[in-house]
Amino acid sequence: MTFWEIIVSMLGQGLFTTIVTTILAAILALVLGFAGGLMRLSNNRFVRFIVAIYVEVFRGTSLLVQLFWIYFVLPMFGITMSALTAAVLAIGLNYGAYTSEVVRSGIQSVDKGQTEASIALNFTPAQRMRRIIIPQAFIIMLPNLGNQLIELFKSTSLVALITLTDLTYQANVLNASTLQTTEIYTALLVLYFLIAWPLTKGIQILERKLTEGRM
Amino acid sequence: MAEPIVKYNKVTKYFDDLQVLDEIDFEIQPGEKVALIGPSGSGKTTFARLLMMLEEITDGTIEVEGEYLWHEKDDKGNLKPASSEHQRKVRSNIGMVFQHFHLFPHMTVLQNIIEAPVTVQGRDKKEATKAGKDMLDKVGLLDKADAYPAQLSGGQKQRVAIARALVMQPKVLIFDEPTSALDPELVGEVLEVIKSIADEGEASMLLITHEMDFAKEVADRIAFFDGGKIVEDGPPSDILYNPQSERLKDFLERFMNTQ
Repeated sequence: MTFWEIIVSMLGQGLFTTIVTTILAAILALVLGFAGGLMRLSNNRFVRFIVAIYVEVFRGTSLLVQLFWIYFVLPMFGITMSALTAAVLAIGLNYGAYTSEVVRSGIQSVDKGQTEASIALNFTPAQRMRRIIIPQAFIIMLPNLGNQLIELFKSTSLVALITLTDLTYQANVLNASTLQTTEIYTALLVLYFLIAWPLTKGIQILERKLTEGRM
Repeated sequence: MAEPIVKYNKVTKYFDDLQVLDEIDFEIQPGEKVALIGPSGSGKTTFARLLMMLEEITDGTIEVEGEYLWHEKDDKGNLKPASSEHQRKVRSNIGMVFQHFHLFPHMTVLQNIIEAPVTVQGRDKKEATKAGKDMLDKVGLLDKADAYPAQLSGGQKQRVAIARALVMQPKVLIFDEPTSALDPELVGEVLEVIKSIADEGEASMLLITHEMDFAKEVADRIAFFDGGKIVEDGPPSDILYNPQSERLKDFLERFMNTQ
């Protein structure tokens, strides 16, 4: 097979699985990250404690082991799920833990005067968060969230190890049948880069658009 | 005399072990403009921030239009800490202009002004926009409606902040050193706007300032703070030209020397 034939043969199911896993896991991570980040700032100690445990557990253990645990161990307790669900859950939970720290520090770095101005204008705490603090915090978070998205995307290569036919899985299969190892894994590198690079650029453009003339 | 619009009763404030306000009694009449002067650390800013609910009261009560700001009466008529609904209801009478403006950087000038009327007061967006533009016109910045705060000078920012506070139609407006963060050449335009509001306004004003000439011109009354107490309180001419206490004499003397 030529280099191009190898690339084309990976573009089907493998690419699709990698992208779907990335999108679903990123959405889950973002939702968990925002929920966790806001709860970390709660006045309620119990709420803060719950989030702290979640963050420490998922940050302190390996994503690969979490993936195996959810896919291979949970069925022992009667919880079975598809490989895709397990993959999205493990990656989403793992990156959600990191994202919650990004969200927390982003919110905390918004100038305290913004909170005071909102109180003086009689906003409720929820209105203040939604209309004033989060829109500004989001811009502060954006470079970090972008980094996390790239990291998350690259980490999806681990899902090949729980039988999900992503890009990496397809490369492994192809390698076993053709033994063109150099071409195949070079093609794999190129493909990951070709997806990651526009993501990085996209985030940079978004950041510029949101800050133009404002900050 | 009419009912005071703001009434402090034995208000005390501690930051940890540090006492900042010491059992202060104070009244503001409807429409009255009161200037607060005094050395830094004398408690005047904390005094005003308690009214805006930016600091927690330690002891005593504050009433606004006869209603407790920090407290509510329970069934037996005893005072208990107010619910957040009660606090917001009473606080809606108060507005504030900050030393460092605190405009919302992610919104245009007009959005800054109509955000709270629409979101907080639930006013119609068209009506709020019209009111917002009228207010911008009043502070002379109608042409900047679509600019972002970062594109404005300090003086312009402060005038927008004043418009933003006014559009909420507060009964009491607090100015916390509104010109202290400005370059000297920009102070005049802001003072002019404040003066025009004071001249036409039914709103009471609480003005923390180091601009003595301005205080004399705008205020009906000046209160001199020192060491967490109001040491002297009276008409500007008395306070500035006929100080009774040694502390006020010292303060004024030091002040004149640095001018």
